[in-house]
Amino acid sequence: MPIEPSRTALSRRSFAVAGAGAVLLPATVLAGTARAADAAQTEVTVSPIDLDGPAVTTVTVTVRNTAPKRLRDVRVSFSGPVGWVVEPEERAVRGGIDPNSHATVTFELLVPAPSSGFQLLNFTATALYEGGDGLTRATVTRTERRGEPLPTLAAAYNNVGITDESNTAPGDFDGGGNSFSAQKLADVGLSPGASVTALGADLTWPDTSPGTKDNASSGGQAISLSGSGSKLVFLGSGVGNNAVGTARVFYTDGTSSTGSFGFPNWSFQNVTDHGATQIAASNGRNRQDGYGNAGVTYSVFAHSVPLDAGKTVDLVVLPGQGGIHIFAMAIAG
Amino acid sequence: MAALGTAGTARAAETTGTAGTPGRPAGQTSMVKQAFDVYPTVRVGVIGIGNRGSGMANGWAAVPGCVVRAVCDVRAPRAKAKADQLAADGKPRPLEFGGSPDAYKEMLKRDDIDLVYIATPWEFHYEQGKAALLAGKHVLVELPIATELDQLWDLVNTSERTRRHLLLSENVSYGRNELAMLRMAHDGAFGDITNGHGGYLHDLRELLFSNTYYTDSWRRLWHTRSTASFYPMHGLAPIAAAMDINRGDRMVTLRATATEPKGLADYRARFVPEGHPSWQETYVNGDLVTCLIDTADGRIIRAEHDVSSPRPYSRINTIAGSRGIFEDYAGPSPTGGRIYIEPDHGGHSWRDFKSYRDEYDHWLWKKIGDDAANNGGHGGMDYVLQWRTVQCMRAGLVPDMDVYDAAAWCSPVPLSVMSLENKGRPVPVPDFTRGSWVNIRLGLDTRESDMPPVA
Repeated sequence: MPIEPSRTALSRRSFAVAGAGAVLLPATVLAGTARAADAAQTEVTVSPIDLDGPAVTTVTVTVRNTAPKRLRDVRVSFSGPVGWVVEPEERAVRGGIDPNSHATVTFELLVPAPSSGFQLLNFTATALYEGGDGLTRATVTRTERRGEPLPTLAAAYNNVGITDESNTAPGDFDGGGNSFSAQKLADVGLSPGASVTALGADLTWPDTSPGTKDNASSGGQAISLSGSGSKLVFLGSGVGNNAVGTARVFYTDGTSSTGSFGFPNWSFQNVTDHGATQIAASNGRNRQDGYGNAGVTYSVFAHSVPLDAGKTVDLVVLPGQGGIHIFAMAIAG
Repeated sequence: MAALGTAGTARAAETTGTAGTPGRPAGQTSMVKQAFDVYPTVRVGVIGIGNRGSGMANGWAAVPGCVVRAVCDVRAPRAKAKADQLAADGKPRPLEFGGSPDAYKEMLKRDDIDLVYIATPWEFHYEQGKAALLAGKHVLVELPIATELDQLWDLVNTSERTRRHLLLSENVSYGRNELAMLRMAHDGAFGDITNGHGGYLHDLRELLFSNTYYTDSWRRLWHTRSTASFYPMHGLAPIAAAMDINRGDRMVTLRATATEPKGLADYRARFVPEGHPSWQETYVNGDLVTCLIDTADGRIIRAEHDVSSPRPYSRINTIAGSRGIFEDYAGPSPTGGRIYIEPDHGGHSWRDFKSYRDEYDHWLWKKIGDDAANNGGHGGMDYVLQWRTVQCMRAGLVPDMDVYDAAAWCSPVPLSVMSLENKGRPVPVPDFTRGSWVNIRLGLDTRESDMPPVA
C-alpha cells in the first residue's frame, strides 16, 4: 500500500519560526559569544543548559548580526552529545536579522540522568545564512562538565597488561588474552614502581602486582592532575593499528586545550609510528598458556601533548580510543 | 543526528500527519502529558481471574496504597476462590462478580473502583476496555488492547473523550535489562540509534494444547483463524521506548513476512492423542511472523513472533547505533546480555552487560527490586509495573506510557494482517498521536520519586 504524502506536511527537522517563535531584539552584549573567524560579524551563543536529568529542557540559541548588511535565509541547527535527542534539529528565522540586531530560537533537549563518573558534554549551534558578513556560516560549541573526575590514573586502570610468567591467565592487554611479561619488563628496567624519565617528564611505572589491573584502556576517562609545564607525557602502548586519539586538558582557570597522540601497536608496527618514542623493548610476551613468542619485541612507548604555558592543569580527559593503553602520565617542565 | 539541511531526507519528508489519519473529533483533546488525578488509595477491579489475572491480583494487593476492590470472571467460582484467597491472606475481601459474560458490566457500575485491570482472552479486551473508560475508570489492559485498527482508534478517541487513561499492561517495559538499555540509549552510549530488534519467541506448544491452561483453548484457536503477528509487543515496546517512539520519532511503515505454519501440526502429530479437539483444527498462522518497521528518523525495527516452534525463550531485545550494540538473551552472563560499545570496547569481542546494567540500573529497580522479587512474576517486572502504576495514580503523575503507546505497539497485529494479505508490501502505521509525536517528552526514563505514604 503506497504511503501518500501528508496534506499537512510539517517537518520536525526544519521548523520555521517567526513572531513569538523568533524573538528579534536590539543588539546587546552577549556573554560567552564565539565568532566563527576574526572577520566574522555573526555571533552565535548557546544559553546555559540545565543538566539535571532526566528532563526535557529548553535551550536558547542567539544569533547576532553586527555586520552592516542584513542576514538573510538564516537557519539555525543545534545538537548535543551523540545520541541525545533534540527537537527540532534545525529552525529557520523568517525575515532575517537586521544589522545590530539578533534573533533567538529555542530547541528542546532530552537531558538523560547523570551517569556515573565524569562527562564532557558538547553542545553545538550552527547558523547558516546569506548576507551579513558574507561568511555564510557561524558555529559555536558550548562545553559542559558533569560529574567528578577520577582522583588518579591508577583509579582508571581497567586492564591487566602485565602478568607473571608463572601465572599468565589474568592477562589481556590486547583483547586476545596476551600480556607483557613482568620478568621481561624488569629486565629492561620496568619493575613495579620504577622511575622512568621520558620526554622530559619523570614518571612512575605502575606499582602493581603482576596479574592485576595496571593500565587504562583509554575511554574518555577524566582524571585529576595538578601542575604546570610545557607538555603532558603519557607512557603506554597500543592495541590495533590505530591507537591514536585526542586528549583534552582542563586548567584551573576554566579553559582547556587539546592534543593528539598515539602509540604504535605493542609489537607489529614501526616503533616510531604516530610520532611515538620507544622507551622499552620487552622480549616475548605472556600468552594464556604461558610465556612465548621469544625473540619478538613488545614495546612500551612515550608520547605527549602540549600544555598551555603559564596555566595550572586541573584535569585530563583521555582520548576515546580504547586501543590506547596508558600505564603512567606526568607533566614535563 | 542529522546535519544541517536535512530537507529532502527521509526523516524530513515525514510529516506530522499521514493519509488516513482521522481528525480529532470535536470535544476531545490529547492525553499526552495528562496527569492522573490524585487517588489516596487505588481501588482495582480485576476482570479475568485466569492464570494471568489471578497472579496479578496478588500483585495489586501487595502494592502500598492499593486494594483489590472487586474480582470478576465469567466463571464465578474463580472469582470466589480469588476473593477467598485474598481474604485469607489478610487483605480486604474483594467484591465478586461473575456467572455471565456481562458480569463485568455490573462491576463497572460501581463508583468505588478507580482502575480496571483486564486479563481476559484477547478477543474481549477492546469491548471491556472501552466499557471501562465509558464507566469513568482508568484501564490497564493485557496485551493487546485490541486487534483491529478501528478498535485501536476507538480506544484512543474514547480515552481522549472520557479523560481516562487506557494503558497497555506491558510489564516488559519495566524489565531491568530493558530499562537499563533505555537509559543507555538516552545517554548516547550506543551513539545515534539506527536499529533495534525485539520479539516474543516463546515455545508455547505444550500450553497451547493443554486442556486447562488457556480457558477454552482460546489462544490456540487464534492460530486457526488469522494470519498475523499476534503478540509482538513484549519485544517491540522496549525498542520503541529506546527510540523515543511517540516522543520524537514514530513508526511510519510496516511490512510483514510469515513462514509456513508447521509447528503446531507437527507437535500435535507427535504428542496429542487422537480424539483431542485440536484434531478438528487447521493452523493457518505462520510459525515465525516478522514485522519490519521503518521510523520517521530512518531507523529500522524488527519485531518477531513465534510461539509454535521448539526453541528457548527470547525477546531478542537488541538495540544498535553508530557507537555500539546491546544484545539480550545472548550468553551466560547473569543478566543474559552482552554488549560492545566504543570507546569502551575493541577487539571484536563481546563483553558482559552486568557492569553496565549496574551503572544504568533504573531507580525503580534500585528502590523496589527486592519487593518485586518477592511479590511479582516474570522476574519482578509485573510488580514494578503495578507499583509504578499505583504510584503515578496516588501521586497524580503523568503515566510513563499512554494510550498512544498502547495503540502504536499493538498496531502491528492488524497491520501485519494487511501486509501479509498484500504479499509483504509496506502498509502505513497510523499516527495515533495526531502529530504530537514530534515533541520530545519523558516516558519510562523518569526521575526518582517516592510512593506517597499510606495513611
